[in-house]
Amino acid sequence: MTGDISITRRLIVTVLVLELLSAISLIIIVAFHERHVQLKAFDASLVATAESLAGAVQDAEDEADNVMLDLQEVHTSKDAAFRVEDERGRMLGSEGEPPALETAGRQEPSFRDVELRGHAYRFLVLHRLRIVDPGKLDGGVRHTITIVYGTPVAHVWHEVLEAIRFYSIATAILLGVTASLMIWLLRKGLAPVHELAHEAERISSSDWRFNAPASAKRTIELRPLALALEAALARLQRSFEQQRRFTNDAAHELKTDVAIVKSSLQLLSMRKRTVEEYIRGLTLSVNDFTRLENTVQKMLTLARLEQQMENDKLGAVNRSCSLRDAVEDSVNQINSFAQLKAVDVQIESTAEVRVPIDSRDAFLLCSNILLNAVQHSPDGSTVRITLTVNEQTVQLTVKDRGEGISVEDRLHLFEPFYRGDPSRSRKSGGTGLGLSICRAICERAGGTIEIVNGTSGGALVTVTLPAEVLEDTSGLSASLKTQ
Amino acid sequence: MRVLLIEDEQRLAENIIAALRETGLAVDHAAEGEAGSHLAEEGIYDAIILDLMLPGKSGQRVLQDLRRKKLHTPVLILTAQEGKESVVNLLNTGADDYLGKPFDLGELLARIKALIRRARGVATPILVVSDLELNTVQQAVRRRGQPVDLSPTEYRILEYLIHRPRAVVSQQELLEHLYDFEWEHHSNVIEAHVSNLRRKLNAAGTEPLIETLRHRGYRLREPVATP
Repeated sequence: MTGDISITRRLIVTVLVLELLSAISLIIIVAFHERHVQLKAFDASLVATAESLAGAVQDAEDEADNVMLDLQEVHTSKDAAFRVEDERGRMLGSEGEPPALETAGRQEPSFRDVELRGHAYRFLVLHRLRIVDPGKLDGGVRHTITIVYGTPVAHVWHEVLEAIRFYSIATAILLGVTASLMIWLLRKGLAPVHELAHEAERISSSDWRFNAPASAKRTIELRPLALALEAALARLQRSFEQQRRFTNDAAHELKTDVAIVKSSLQLLSMRKRTVEEYIRGLTLSVNDFTRLENTVQKMLTLARLEQQMENDKLGAVNRSCSLRDAVEDSVNQINSFAQLKAVDVQIESTAEVRVPIDSRDAFLLCSNILLNAVQHSPDGSTVRITLTVNEQTVQLTVKDRGEGISVEDRLHLFEPFYRGDPSRSRKSGGTGLGLSICRAICERAGGTIEIVNGTSGGALVTVTLPAEVLEDTSGLSASLKTQ
Repeated sequence: MRVLLIEDEQRLAENIIAALRETGLAVDHAAEGEAGSHLAEEGIYDAIILDLMLPGKSGQRVLQDLRRKKLHTPVLILTAQEGKESVVNLLNTGADDYLGKPFDLGELLARIKALIRRARGVATPILVVSDLELNTVQQAVRRRGQPVDLSPTEYRILEYLIHRPRAVVSQQELLEHLYDFEWEHHSNVIEAHVSNLRRKLNAAGTEPLIETLRHRGYRLREPVATP
C-alpha cells in the first residue's frame, strides 16, 4: 500500500543515514590527515635520501681538490630522479632526468612539485657544504653541493586511497551491523505494541472486556494509548449496556401494559355478562389502554428529545419560550390533582425570563417535576416553587415535603424506567420515564437538573438553564416580587 | 382448589384473580415478593402463579426458597423477560410451567388447571369416580349420565374430594383449599355445603358417595367395582 508509514523503517533509515554521513565526514577528515602525514613522511624520506646523497659526495683525490659522488652506500627509490652538482655547475651524478630547477640563491632546502614524464614528482633542492682536505692550512677547498632529488608523489596518493578504502569497508560493515541490530532491537522494543493490538483485536460486539497487557502499560510511550483505549472501551461498554437495558426495560414495560389490556378484554369475553358488567369492563379496558398509550407516548418523547439532541449538533435551532408561562401553565394543570391530595402548590417567587426550550418541552419539564413533587407529598403539605434569574442562568426549584430520596436512588434517578421505590410499582401511574425526559430537555438546552434532599426534609429539585438576554433587564427586581 | 397469585401489577392481578375465580378457583394475591414468599411457604396452595419482576424479593428467589423448603406446589411463572436461558434457568430452579407476557388469559387458566390436575396424578380434565363424572373444563357433573346441578362451592368441594380419593379430608383442609382470604368462612358453612352436595348427588337406590367421619372429616367412598 502506498502512503504507509513505518516508524521502524524510518528510524532505521534515519540512523543509517546519520551514521553514513558521519562516516563520510570522518573519511574526508581521515583522508586529509593521512595525506598530510604521508606528505610529511614523504618529505622526510626525500630529505633523508637527499642527505645520504650529500653524504655520498666524497673527495675525488685529484689535483683540483674536486669532489665526486659515490653511490655505493646510497639507496634511492626506483623511480627517483636526482642530480648532484657542485658550485660550478659540474654534474657529479644524476639519474632519471630531473628538470632544470632554479637552484641558486637559497640555502634552505626547498620542495617543488613538478610534472616529469607524465607523473607528478616532488623534488627537494638541498645545498650542502663539502670541504675537501679540511686539515690543510688554508682550511681546505670548500664545495657547495646542490642536490636535486625527487620521487613520484603517486605513492602518497596510493597510501591515502588505501586509508579511504579501509575506512569505507569498516563503515559498510558497521552500517550492516547497526541495521541488523536495530531491526532486532526495534522488533523486541515494539513487542508491547503487537501485544496491545492483539488484545484489542479480541474485542467484539459481544465481548467488550479489554485489559491492556501489562507490557503496554509498563511502556511509557504506550501507556497513554493503552489507558485511553481502556477508558474509551469502558465508556462504550457502559453506553451499550445502558442502551441494552433501556431496550429490555422498554420491552418489559410495553409487554406488561399489553398484557393488562389483553387480559382485561379476555376477562370480559370469558362469558356472557350483564350490560353493567360490560360497561365497567370497557371503562377499565380504556383506562388500561390509556396507560399503554402513556408509556408509548413517553418513550416517543424521550426518543424525540434524544433524536433532536443529535440534530442540534448539526445546526442550532432557534427556539425559546417564557419559563414563567410554562411554570404557571403546569401549576394550573396540576391543581386539580393537587387538590385531590390536599397538596398546596405555591409559586414563591417568579421572574420573566426566556429559556432556549420549545414551549411544549418547557411545559413538559415543569409538569413532570411538579407531578413528581405532588405525588411524593404527604396530604396537606405544600410544594414550593421558586424561579430566580442570575446573570446568565435561570434557576427553577421545586421543593416538596415528602420522604426525600435515598442515597442509592440518587445514582439512578434519571435512568429510564428507574423507580425509586419498587414496591410502589406503578400504582402511582409513573412509567419511570418522567425524570429521564426532564434530564433530556435540560441537557438539550445546555442546562442541568439535580435532585437533593432539602435541609428540612423532602426532595429539592433544582433546574438550571441558560437564560436568554431580554430587552427588559428588570429580571432581578421581578424575582423579588412574590406571588 | 386454591391458587396463590404473586404479581405486582395491580391491574393485571385484578384481571387474573377475576378470571381464576370465575373458573371456580379460590385465589389469594400478594403484590410483593416477601409477602408472596411467606404465603407460598404455608403450603396450603394447589398452584402458584409467580411473576418474576417483583419488588421486595425476586420471583426467582421466591421459587428457590419454596423448593428449598421441600414444598412441591406447582408453580407457573409469568414473565416479560426475554431470552431462552432464563426459561431454562427457571425450569431448572423448579418451575413447572412458564408463560410470557402478554399471555392469553384462557391459556393461563388451562395451564393452571393442568398443573393442579397433574400434581394430583390426574392426566385428563374429566374425572371419573364410580358412576360419577366430573368435567373440569365445563365444570359440569353427571351421575349415571344424568346432569347434576351444583352451586360453585358445591362443585369445588366435590372436585377437591375427587382429587383426593380415599383420603379423609378435614373441614379445615377444605376451608384452606376452597376459600381465599377474602371469603367469610366458618366450618359450619362447609358442613352446610357438604350436606347440600350429598343430597344433590344422591340418586335413588345408591349408597351416598360422600362419607362423613365424625370429628375427622369427609371421604369420597371407594369406588365400588361397578362398571
